[in-house]
Amino acid sequence: MSEPTSSLPIAVPEQARRVGFRLQRGDRLFVRILLAVALSMLCAGALIAISGHDPIAAFVALVTGAVGSPHQIGAALNRTTPYLLAGGGVAMCFRAGIINIGAEGQIAIGGMGTAAVALAWPSELAGVAAVAALLGGAAAGAVWAGVATAIHLGRRVHEVLATLLLNFVALLLVQQVLAGPLGEFGAGFLQSPLLPPEAWLPRIPHFNAHVGFLIATVAAAALSFTLWRMRFGFALRVAGNSRPAATYAGFALPLLTWRVMLLAGALAGLAGGIEVLGLHRRLIEGFSLGFGFKAVTVALLGALEPLAIVPAALFVGLLEAGSLSMQRQIGVPSALVVVIEGLTMLFVLAATVRRL
Amino acid sequence: MPELLEMRGIVRCFGALRANDGIDLDVRAGQIVGLLGENGSGKSTLMKVLFGMLSCDSGKIIFRGRELSGHRPRDAIAAGIAMIHQHFMLVDAMTVLENVMLGWPAAGRVLRRAEMADRIRQASRRFGLDLDPSARVGDLPLGRKQRVEILKAILREADLLILDEPTSNLAPTEVAELLKILRSLRAEGKGIIFISHKLPEVLELCDDVVVLRDGRVTGHTPAAGASRARLAEMMVGRDITAPHAPLPRTPGQVRLALRNVIASGLPSLSFEVRGGEILGVAGVDGNGQIELAEMLTGLRRAESGTILLDGVDVTRAPVAARVRAGMAYMPADRSSTALVRNMSVAENLMLRDSDRSPYVRGALLARQPLIAKARELMMEYDIRAPGPGALVARLSGGNQQKIVVARELDRAPAVLVAHQAAWGLDPGATRFVLDRVIALRDAGAAVLYISSELEEVLAISDWIAVMTDGRFAGLVSRAEVDRGQIGLWMSGRAA
Repeated sequence: MSEPTSSLPIAVPEQARRVGFRLQRGDRLFVRILLAVALSMLCAGALIAISGHDPIAAFVALVTGAVGSPHQIGAALNRTTPYLLAGGGVAMCFRAGIINIGAEGQIAIGGMGTAAVALAWPSELAGVAAVAALLGGAAAGAVWAGVATAIHLGRRVHEVLATLLLNFVALLLVQQVLAGPLGEFGAGFLQSPLLPPEAWLPRIPHFNAHVGFLIATVAAAALSFTLWRMRFGFALRVAGNSRPAATYAGFALPLLTWRVMLLAGALAGLAGGIEVLGLHRRLIEGFSLGFGFKAVTVALLGALEPLAIVPAALFVGLLEAGSLSMQRQIGVPSALVVVIEGLTMLFVLAATVRRL
Repeated sequence: MPELLEMRGIVRCFGALRANDGIDLDVRAGQIVGLLGENGSGKSTLMKVLFGMLSCDSGKIIFRGRELSGHRPRDAIAAGIAMIHQHFMLVDAMTVLENVMLGWPAAGRVLRRAEMADRIRQASRRFGLDLDPSARVGDLPLGRKQRVEILKAILREADLLILDEPTSNLAPTEVAELLKILRSLRAEGKGIIFISHKLPEVLELCDDVVVLRDGRVTGHTPAAGASRARLAEMMVGRDITAPHAPLPRTPGQVRLALRNVIASGLPSLSFEVRGGEILGVAGVDGNGQIELAEMLTGLRRAESGTILLDGVDVTRAPVAARVRAGMAYMPADRSSTALVRNMSVAENLMLRDSDRSPYVRGALLARQPLIAKARELMMEYDIRAPGPGALVARLSGGNQQKIVVARELDRAPAVLVAHQAAWGLDPGATRFVLDRVIALRDAGAAVLYISSELEEVLAISDWIAVMTDGRFAGLVSRAEVDRGQIGLWMSGRAA
């Protein structure tokens, strides 16, 4: 076991002057996570070797594919953005002891909300089209999380079931909408028409990255602040540690559940909206397939610490961004990256499982 | 009749505590032995030693002429001992038949359902169990579930049955039926150990009664002709110093009043506590104490009636509102209700006050004032921890409870509900907690002190109530305390 240290943001126990956050389960937790990541890479290397390729060369190709040029870095950051945003929301829910695995559906619904607002936005207000569309996406994601919460609290359905099952409903709903009101006639694919250019997210020059990554990073910082410095975050942490204690402390658990679920839904919805406005510039069927589940991976990889989720999301984003060039250059199938992600998850869980 | 079981000089220590301190116990075939004692008297430890769940430090167990030593529950079962726990070891989703066959080698590798069902029906008829092999256990009432356990014991041909407080969850009619079944088992030559703290049942059913207190046998008598009062005395002990004389004080205003309050587990309660008074609630655990404490403090709903706090109706007020109105609460469950073990001392000190100064400014935690306040409380209440950021899980039980005391008393509450406030604490920490509670009373608060430790209640209270089955079986002032009477109240409804 790692030495548990304070969950309270006290940097110097004796003086308590410095400002800074303390990780709940100590820095050694991160050592363990890094070890788990290293182990999974080793296993992946062995797999590559077994398949008859040079693991070193494969990893070099992977890394250069991810960060070899500004353009590739930009692509990797774009890839990272949805994981970071949705992962932060998932982490907040997990901190409160609510196992929300509905990010997948909330992202999809968020993308749909964003596309709908962008398409319907009056052209005389074009200046704020992107902002309005993103807010629409966040609201849509929150509504979807709210549906799960209402089912969970109202009918006492376990939150895992409520959130998980609504994912499938969400994906089918997006499909249906693309086949109907939001669909592009005669496109041959299930997709919306191209969104008006004033709603597109600005891109960072040279990098080809949209501003989504910046938004996501700011959101992660805000989540960390909320978790450690605000009364709401305190209530979340108490509830996650012990429900009876939270009741005893006078926190209304249903209200807390609503607030954190809506927050997570909004963040996931925003992730979907950014994907639509920043990357595809239209709503495409299956644009977010798997993102929500990867958000859970990322949240756990970041030990449910919003700031630590930034490197965790980057890890997954870079891996995936580099996987194609690894396949192109070395011939190792890009699906190997999925294996690495799975192994990492497995090792991280083994290294961090809470012993009660 | 030959001896079925002989236990000689059983000693079992937990650290410095001698839970069993040289206990002898004999059971003959066709005999029911009642084992009486308060919580913590050593009954359960003795039975766990017998069943092989605990090893004994010294002593001898001879069962059917063979010595058992270093045995495990598996060996005890094979030898013919069956233990029927208070909480049944049954699978609700399975049928009676399946539960009987579960984990029983004789059921065969290929299950012989029809044959087993037949045997169940036969045994059921013979002992009046009235069990249908195909009934789903989850659909059965508690009394029937217990009979499934008894059935398992019978079919496995156990010679000795241990029943651990078998009547505590049963309705009166179910109790009568259980006693009938046990008598028919006795007639078949089975030995039975019947653990209970309910005197009337024990006297009605048992042949012999053994009373335990503080790990020793304090009485061993045939049930016939034994007087309840004497048994109660043996259980509670009379050789303990009398409570201190109450200080002459003029009682203050009524600060806490309950009028016909009904909640689950509490049929109907009415009482008052005045400022400057401690009402001690004694009684065996599980008689509605938790329900009472939680209902008063807002963790549990009262179905009807009125709770007045300083004259204000708080019956429907949520927890936070009650805290604000001056209701302090020290719950019995320290590890997951009163404290968050994985959080810091400072955070635990603000646990119920995080909506007011000095802990918050708006929606933000006020970090420096919060830490300063924590330091102040740690100093004042002598909480020994490396610092305000230390994890509560790392502290001793005494220091953990001091955090709860500091948090609840620093608010200068009007009413304190303390439940098992000194449970598991060493003498020094116990003294500290009791002194602080007394100081709070002297400052004019009303205190409800709930504990299953009678000595503690007698030592601290101005009024003493005994709780049984969710009611106050009796309420006396400290001057009128009669231990025999209290023992009787504690042991059942009989007065």
